[in-house]
Amino acid sequence: MFDVLRRKVGAFKSDTKTLILERKLDEKSLEKTLQAFELALIESNIAVPVAEDIISSVKAELLGTKIGRRANIDEILESALQKAMIKVLSANEFDFDEYIEKAEKPVNIIFVGVNGTGKTTTVAKIAQRLKKQGYSVVIASADTYRAGATEQIETHAERLNLKVIKHQLGGDPAAVVYDGVQYARARHKDIVLADTAGRMHTNVNLMEELKKIGRVTSPDLVIFVDEATAGNDAVERAKKFNDAVGIDGSILTKVDVDVKGGAAISIAHTTGKPILFLGTGQEYDDLVKFQPKWLVNKLLEG
Amino acid sequence: MPDLGSSMRAVVKKVVRAGRIDARTVDEIVKDVQRALLQADVNVELVMQLSSQIRERALKEKPPAGANPREHVIKIIYETLVEIIGKGVDVPLKEQKILMVGLHGSGKTTTVAKLARFFQRKGLKPAVICADTYRPGAYAQLKQLCDQIGVPCYGDGKAPLKIVKEGLKTLKDDVIIVDTAGRHALEKDLIKEMKDLVRILKPDQKILVLDAAIGQVAGAQAKAFNDAVSITGVILTKMDGTAKGGGALSAVAETGAPIAFMGTGETPEDLERFDPDGYISRLLGMGDIKSLIERAEESLGKGELDVKAMLRGKFTLEDMYKQLEAINKLGPLKQVMQMVPLGMEVPDDAYEVTKDRLKKYKVIMDSMTDEELREPKIIGSSRIKRIAIGSGTATEDVRGLLKYHKMMQTAMKGLRGGKFPMRKMMKRFKI
Repeated sequence: MFDVLRRKVGAFKSDTKTLILERKLDEKSLEKTLQAFELALIESNIAVPVAEDIISSVKAELLGTKIGRRANIDEILESALQKAMIKVLSANEFDFDEYIEKAEKPVNIIFVGVNGTGKTTTVAKIAQRLKKQGYSVVIASADTYRAGATEQIETHAERLNLKVIKHQLGGDPAAVVYDGVQYARARHKDIVLADTAGRMHTNVNLMEELKKIGRVTSPDLVIFVDEATAGNDAVERAKKFNDAVGIDGSILTKVDVDVKGGAAISIAHTTGKPILFLGTGQEYDDLVKFQPKWLVNKLLEG
Repeated sequence: MPDLGSSMRAVVKKVVRAGRIDARTVDEIVKDVQRALLQADVNVELVMQLSSQIRERALKEKPPAGANPREHVIKIIYETLVEIIGKGVDVPLKEQKILMVGLHGSGKTTTVAKLARFFQRKGLKPAVICADTYRPGAYAQLKQLCDQIGVPCYGDGKAPLKIVKEGLKTLKDDVIIVDTAGRHALEKDLIKEMKDLVRILKPDQKILVLDAAIGQVAGAQAKAFNDAVSITGVILTKMDGTAKGGGALSAVAETGAPIAFMGTGETPEDLERFDPDGYISRLLGMGDIKSLIERAEESLGKGELDVKAMLRGKFTLEDMYKQLEAINKLGPLKQVMQMVPLGMEVPDDAYEVTKDRLKKYKVIMDSMTDEELREPKIIGSSRIKRIAIGSGTATEDVRGLLKYHKMMQTAMKGLRGGKFPMRKMMKRFKI
């Protein structure tokens, strides 16, 4: 992450020197360094407004702080930054496994997001994980729009030996999820995973449809799926989906693409909801539980 | 309006207001340009490079005779961006083979169908091959899309290379488009497979499909694809969302491959030629009235919609109806509105004219007299009642329509007024 900082190291060091002499951090002395930090955050794929927010919280915390003559300013700033990012990622944290264990069955979980973020693959991965933990899982194929969507989830279900509830192409997705829940109730299944169609957050009709799915099936968890490769738009879409259906957590996919992972910070900061898992590949087991510390260290090491 | 638009609008206003251009003003402008580009997902490194170029030129170059210094800076910003993004490229209309590559979920399969539809409309015979044997349902998806538009689709099998070999033997159509599995730079096996596909297919075009929302990673990924198979063109997808597509600027800078098309929706029809001026106008939040007028005229036939008259402030119910109809043809209202020049603040509700509402408006307007359509002012409560009964709607619906008209009329007026020297600016950019 600190490629940018290293490039600017000249400016950085001279600032550090004056700081140590003054022994008190003031706005003027912090400015240049914080600017470099901000750029480094943006380079790690954190959205611009989010990076600005984090930097101003770090600044507010450090302003007026007295530091020892030999204190290492790099370390002080880095640890403040680390703290700020962990705080963003730890808001409303909850343990998915614990939640599933305690929740009344069947648990109805719906997966939402824009097109191509990896919802269907993620549903299959979550199904595999829950199955391994001993739960019985049903999949509701609520993407009745995209060509090939049902075929895609059916192939996954076949491989994982799971039942898929589906309707025809063009059917009412809310009805599919509803049927999924009814099926799970009747057969005493533990969990319904509903895969919804990808939709642009700007498409009013499709966002209304999503709200309807929420109203009709009252899901226990709404999970927002977005990709680690997304840049500033991650903020806009996380906000729109959260406003429309109130998400409980997010899953960040495509973390195996050579990304720095800043999108996690953008999304968590925007929604105030935790990141639950990371998708790290094409295999069913390529799903890891999200650890705020792990990501922050990755960002800072870069 | 998204943040980028407003932030760049602020830049432009700053440039316009600055009395003279000194080093401090230039620095300030450059800083704002930086922020706007970063927020549009242009690579950090590239942004730094661009801003120092802009700074240097703005300080050094004297504006040509007749131009004032402020306009000169805007022109420099614009030119710097044009230089990178290039002029876009037309896909040749001839027999050819096209390989589509890209990251997972960037929209390759949908774009293959769109491209096939494009060639079909141009009178060529396209056929597609599905070489994605990894993602479940990939073939089913492509097949369904192809069936919709009546294009042959080959490819239910297990080995991508074999599918392509056999597909080439079987298909005798003019344009062969090959869809491939999503992959990224670190997947060595898949990068090798992509090279093998090129060897077998010998494609005339190798097109990188790029999601408009892609962040800082765009340049590096584009480079990896380019290093492996030498990309010849880029298609930018999901431009109907709020993403600004700045990743495309990084990708083009990295590969030198021009942008051919933009995807603007989910159906096979939603493919538009890449228009570099429009793209940059969108990045700069300056509005591209030129392309709005052109596109409106294209989809309506000349003379039906007099945009220039509307800008002069004449905006009747009839105009509004035609405009709504045109906009419906053009794409999402919000996107069209972004092409309208600065200074115009349209309330968010204005965007939410759904097709249903448009239909209702047509029914209501059908119950109005010609006079009422031309002079909506004369519509009082008794006329509202009559129109509602005549059209089988509620009086609130009629009032809603009139309210919407008023809102749009005010917005239209906003286009020409103000301190901003729109006319001059338009002239400068040959709008």
